[in-house]
Amino acid sequence: MHISEGVLSAPVLITGAVLAAAGVAVGLKKMDSDKIPQVAVLSSAFFVASLIHVPIGPSSVHLILNGINGLLLGWLCFPSILVALALQAILFQFGGITVLGVNTVNMALPGVICYYLFSRLVNRERRLISLTAAFASGLLSVFFSGILVALSLLFTEQSFISVAKLIVVAHLPIMIIEGIITLFCVAFLHRVKPELLGGIYGEAT
Amino acid sequence: MEKRHKSTMYALILFFASILVISTSLPVSAHKVIIFAWVEGDTVFTESKFSGGREATDAQVFVFDKEGKQLLDGKTNNKGEFSFKIPKLTDLRIVLSAGMGHKAEWRIPESEIKEAGGILEKKRAGGSSQPIAVGLSKEEIKELIEDSLDRKLRPIVRMMNKSQSKGPSVTEILGGIGYIFGLMGVAIYFKNRGKKREVNRDN
Repeated sequence: MHISEGVLSAPVLITGAVLAAAGVAVGLKKMDSDKIPQVAVLSSAFFVASLIHVPIGPSSVHLILNGINGLLLGWLCFPSILVALALQAILFQFGGITVLGVNTVNMALPGVICYYLFSRLVNRERRLISLTAAFASGLLSVFFSGILVALSLLFTEQSFISVAKLIVVAHLPIMIIEGIITLFCVAFLHRVKPELLGGIYGEAT
Repeated sequence: MEKRHKSTMYALILFFASILVISTSLPVSAHKVIIFAWVEGDTVFTESKFSGGREATDAQVFVFDKEGKQLLDGKTNNKGEFSFKIPKLTDLRIVLSAGMGHKAEWRIPESEIKEAGGILEKKRAGGSSQPIAVGLSKEEIKELIEDSLDRKLRPIVRMMNKSQSKGPSVTEILGGIGYIFGLMGVAIYFKNRGKKREVNRDN
């Protein structure tokens, strides 16, 4: 879902960069030094995930992992995803430096949305609620990302609805896989380190 | 406390082990699209691929001249190939748009077209079914050599195309992860330095 260099017009790029900078600023402000390792681990997971290619469906799609990033990091997923995307752009030539802002917003904003929608539910004692919320956040974060990508392409491609449909259909298998991955991550964390699920900012435990 | 540290350590080990497994066993591929073009005679051939080696089928290809004027456009076939006759003697910029924000381009300089095209014109003018004369002129020999070189080099050109579309290597993957953890160290250093200063001020 990386948008390549030279596709978007300048206003879209600048808007993306400004939004990304704001998100990263919020994330950095909320980042305590004891959260930094967690951010780094999830950032590298995001970095590697894009290499896992899923050969189902009509297009070339890969894992994204912005759901678990957002769920565990909240606003901190902005710096986490920015770093991972920057390295992907430099080392793998996915996306690009000028589109970094737009791509960061497209991936990180759905993560933050899923954090606010689901992190409380994920923290519930009841297994069923918690795991369903985890699955939903993995699935919906990819869905929202698809919508955001279509939105950013609004000024270059012909119609929003057809592009959005194309992206969402291409990512259907990924949505389900990400849902399952997020579910297993949450189940694992419930057993091993439940305090990680209680909100990143330490206000709710 | 002891137990918590242990579980964190296990999680980290698990994480690195899975990265190693992923980076070595899976066919590495991802989200980049590449177009590769070369001239043969009066035709330009292009091949388009996603970086995993999967062909970009049914994708739009646009051809622009030096001034940025669009000369022609077309769609790749089910092998990701698209070819067109050279419309004009100029620098060609071939742009592939594979949808969903995927874009790539390839440039062919005028000189390359001239070289390939010039030979062709000469051949046309001279007639194709000449009996081979005993005394070949310098030009004719040159022409024959270029012709067979074109043919011989074709597989190599294709090979280069393939190696270009290879995914990232293990070094790059591990390098990237190393960067992230390096940044983590820097971040922790600065956060802690800030804290220390506060403690000193309090004292």
